[in-house]
Amino acid sequence: MKITTVIPAYNEADNIGGVIVKLKSYVDEIIVVDDSSRDNTNEIARMAGAVVVRHVINRGQGAALRTGTQLALDRGADIIIHFDADDQFQAEDIPEMLAPIRNGSADAVLGSRFLTKKSNLPKMKQYFIMPLARFINRLLFNIKLSDPQSGFRALSRTSAQKLKIENDGMAHCTEIIHKLFKNGDRVVEVPITVIYHEFGQKFSGGFKIIKDMIIQKLIK
Amino acid sequence: MLQQLLAIIIIVSFLVRLFKQKKKNQITPNEFFIWLIFWLIALIAIIFLKQIDTLVADLGFSGTGINILVYLAVLALIYLVFRMRLNIAKMEKNISELNQALTLKK
Repeated sequence: MKITTVIPAYNEADNIGGVIVKLKSYVDEIIVVDDSSRDNTNEIARMAGAVVVRHVINRGQGAALRTGTQLALDRGADIIIHFDADDQFQAEDIPEMLAPIRNGSADAVLGSRFLTKKSNLPKMKQYFIMPLARFINRLLFNIKLSDPQSGFRALSRTSAQKLKIENDGMAHCTEIIHKLFKNGDRVVEVPITVIYHEFGQKFSGGFKIIKDMIIQKLIK
Repeated sequence: MLQQLLAIIIIVSFLVRLFKQKKKNQITPNEFFIWLIFWLIALIAIIFLKQIDTLVADLGFSGTGINILVYLAVLALIYLVFRMRLNIAKMEKNISELNQALTLKK
């Protein structure tokens, strides 16, 4: 089974090298999609041993994930892992993320910060933003997940082939979850640890996600 | 009366500009047609403002014709901005697809 990690990266020169080194022992191939960074993310990722492709212009994390997932499929990946470049996810969680797909009990695995493992989530996110996102997910899509916004996920080849990511920006996260269920994939959550170095997406980002989702629906 | 005259001068200047743009092929025939209709309706509405006032009063509204025209113009602008936002979103989507094709082709 070929395990490929896809990392969207934009101006991540400080973190990308370390992330690739940590991932190497857990996966067969690492694809970095440099989303037109202005620093030397590209060179560092290449030197660290990743397959690197570069977007001609910056299009956002969703667009980079779409490019990376397609490339991983083209290069024969059997399982594709979406991983962040900011060194917040833990590579040690990968075996547990892969297990349900390997044993045939799931098509897609989503990392959850709200199960047994502990993450140093900012309080605002833990007690306000995430419960709200969870409520919106239930209300709009009837999806019950402990973590409504996790970017750490593993997809089987068939699941990745069916998944068409359309949102270029941060709305891709909600979109992916929604489409996995819509495509009839068997989705499970696995506990992960996330070490926050910065706050990440703010509350206003939530409104932008909702706005992007609505516009995406309208232009179809 | 003076305000009406000013509005007519402004609309006529926009119409002249529209015909110049058409002559220089700066706009498509469809765009020309839509804007021509839009400015002609505006011109007619301004010229027959008194009659619109009467019509508005007959329909039971308390405002004057110019108020109704302003409300309609605001609605039209909101709709145009909305259409423009959707067009930009479509263009953004196309750019992303092109970007991906270029990236994977290399």
